[in-house]
Amino acid sequence: MDSNIETRLIFIAPSSDLTPDQIARFVHNMGNGVTVKETCYGAVLEGPRDDVRRTRDELRKLDPNRIFSKVRAFPVGDIRRCRAHHGSRPGFAQLEKEWKDLCLIEKGLICVEKGERPPEPRKKGKMPVTDLKKLIDEVTP
Amino acid sequence: MKIFLMPPNSLILYDLVERFGHEPLSLMQGLREKVTSNEIEAPPLNVTLDDVKKGLKYAGIEIPSGIRGRLAVYGPLIDQAEAAIFMEAAPYSFGCVGCQRTNELAKLLVRKRKVPILTLTYPENEEEAKSMVVRVKEFLEGLK
Repeated sequence: MDSNIETRLIFIAPSSDLTPDQIARFVHNMGNGVTVKETCYGAVLEGPRDDVRRTRDELRKLDPNRIFSKVRAFPVGDIRRCRAHHGSRPGFAQLEKEWKDLCLIEKGLICVEKGERPPEPRKKGKMPVTDLKKLIDEVTP
Repeated sequence: MKIFLMPPNSLILYDLVERFGHEPLSLMQGLREKVTSNEIEAPPLNVTLDDVKKGLKYAGIEIPSGIRGRLAVYGPLIDQAEAAIFMEAAPYSFGCVGCQRTNELAKLLVRKRKVPILTLTYPENEEEAKSMVVRVKEFLEGLK
């Protein structure tokens, strides 16, 4: 495969009002020769690197803090990964976890945008023995 | 600047590094050539004998071949790294013990290169997320 071709995943944060269908239609309307495949979390784009990056930048303008992206190694519809061909998706657990966290990252990006200084997060301590004892007492008859 | 990510396929880190104007070094780039190579009729999904040999540059012979094979992909990325961001406390579902051990070894190799490193944890609430994004931004801006 041409090394100039890039495959990119576009993720819509759970808090966004956009739908994968809107993303796919938007990319089709741009008509810049980028292949787009609608997915449950957003879309997969494939095409010449510069075109894909330009498309990503345009897509980001729709909802700047709620559209995220990363590149993908496997091409679109690759039979080793595509669900339609019973491909495996070993990285899905990670994608799912990070996708759920995107609404938190969005808050962070808004904070950066406003130039706010976030409060120092509380350090996690160990569970006090008394609390552990209470838990044990609750579950033991 | 080229930033090495840990987990090497993290969506959050990849996006933030690109957003703040740097080039992320990710596992996906390392694997791309491997899985789309035209020279091989059916490109391999698992490590090959050649990978295991390449991995010897990054891990000793006593290290299991699975870890050496993974390091054959991670290693060239680590060699290019000018800085790194590590995200700790990932859920167990992110990979097997082999992946975890490879990540430990990869982190050691990055530390040995004495490049600037930012260590974070996966955010669990809004406060942590805000602090995380601000720290990433400040770290990346400080590199320029």
